[in-house]
Amino acid sequence: MRNLVLLVLLGLVAAGCAAGPEPRDPYEATNRTVFDFNMTVDRLALRPTAERYNAYVPEWARDGVHNALDTLQQPVVFANDVLQGAPSRAGETAARFLTNATLGVGGLVDVASRVGFAGHEEDFGQTLAVWGVDEGPFVMLPFLGPSNPRDAVGLGVDVALDPTNYIRVKRHVFWSGVHLYGKVLDARSRNLEVLDGIERDSLDFYATVRSLYRQHRASEVRNGMPAPAEPPLTE
Amino acid sequence: MMVKHKSFILSFAVVAALVLSLGLSARSAAAAVPAEQYITDNIQKGLTILNNAQLSKEQRKTEFQGFLLGITDINVIARYTLGQYRRSASPEDLTAFDAAFKDYAMAVYQSYFTKYSGQTLKVTGSYALTADETVVKAATVDPKKPGAKPFEVNFRVQNTGSRQVVVDFSVEGVWIRELERNDFTSYLGQHNGDVKALIAMLKAKAAQSK
Repeated sequence: MRNLVLLVLLGLVAAGCAAGPEPRDPYEATNRTVFDFNMTVDRLALRPTAERYNAYVPEWARDGVHNALDTLQQPVVFANDVLQGAPSRAGETAARFLTNATLGVGGLVDVASRVGFAGHEEDFGQTLAVWGVDEGPFVMLPFLGPSNPRDAVGLGVDVALDPTNYIRVKRHVFWSGVHLYGKVLDARSRNLEVLDGIERDSLDFYATVRSLYRQHRASEVRNGMPAPAEPPLTE
Repeated sequence: MMVKHKSFILSFAVVAALVLSLGLSARSAAAAVPAEQYITDNIQKGLTILNNAQLSKEQRKTEFQGFLLGITDINVIARYTLGQYRRSASPEDLTAFDAAFKDYAMAVYQSYFTKYSGQTLKVTGSYALTADETVVKAATVDPKKPGAKPFEVNFRVQNTGSRQVVVDFSVEGVWIRELERNDFTSYLGQHNGDVKALIAMLKAKAAQSK
């Protein structure tokens, strides 16, 4: 957590003089450099691993891993539901977790969705937004991707909220590494083709990713409800 | 966060493909709101084209392109994506941009729909945005994975007086027009606002996607 905040602050300081034309992205020059770095990491490590994962692991097994990761995430979602004062959503999350952890064979099978407990995303970045904290400037974090100071701090808090990270100290590092690696591999393997398509069709991939992230996060904070003001038809 | 972001990119791109391919299934009950009915009807039309086994692949593409152009106001979308650069562009450049954007959009959308035409989508409701505009809400349905979490898709439908047209759509809260505007204006910002350079780039992308 401390390292994460330090990382964000370091990035902001280092990029302090690199203001770009996008008002919400005053550190664009530095962000683009980090983005290029992330893309290089992706090309050299993530993508090849994800390709092999898809090639050698059958779909049913990959779905099981995805479901298990989703189940492990539910305690964090639950905590943020509670912190946002959303008891009905918290109840749904608890029901989803209990259903999948038991009937779903330890989370490997998503039984909950079939019986009406659909999943939803919540994290501490969204909780801070509900509490009125502004997102701040857009930042591209090394390895972690697009973010902002609010969501970056939220990510650190979510790590602290995750009960699986308190498994015996000797195994902590090992478990955290496996957990994170599993999340990365699962996400990357599921978007090999479509990510290529978005990159291919974009004129400025960085700007597209920035817009995707900011719009989607705003929607997540509203829990999919309509925005107070939709974008106008003309500029 | 990169994990989450990439997961979202997957969601967005897949669902965008679904929307654009209109590999959709209509809600069985008749929609009470005209805009809902409009979207529901066009879902059926899109399905009919995509499932027409008598058409060749190229014929299906051509017919589907005509269908997409018929239900959307592609010029309204195109001009919006230029942002502030629309004011400084010459009338000739604007005309050329409209044509290039249309080709780009159709090529990109078609490249998606060929991959994801098996998915479905159902209309779930709507809300009025202004007196002339309605946002129609829909959700995806994956026939192969009925328990999968649906993606939320919104269509922004404008009533021009004589007809209804789709002027924008969103997937999981991301509006495509705003997305393309960010993409294009960023590109223009790096090329001294040169709309001709943008047009050339759009043509290249369109050719690449075909």
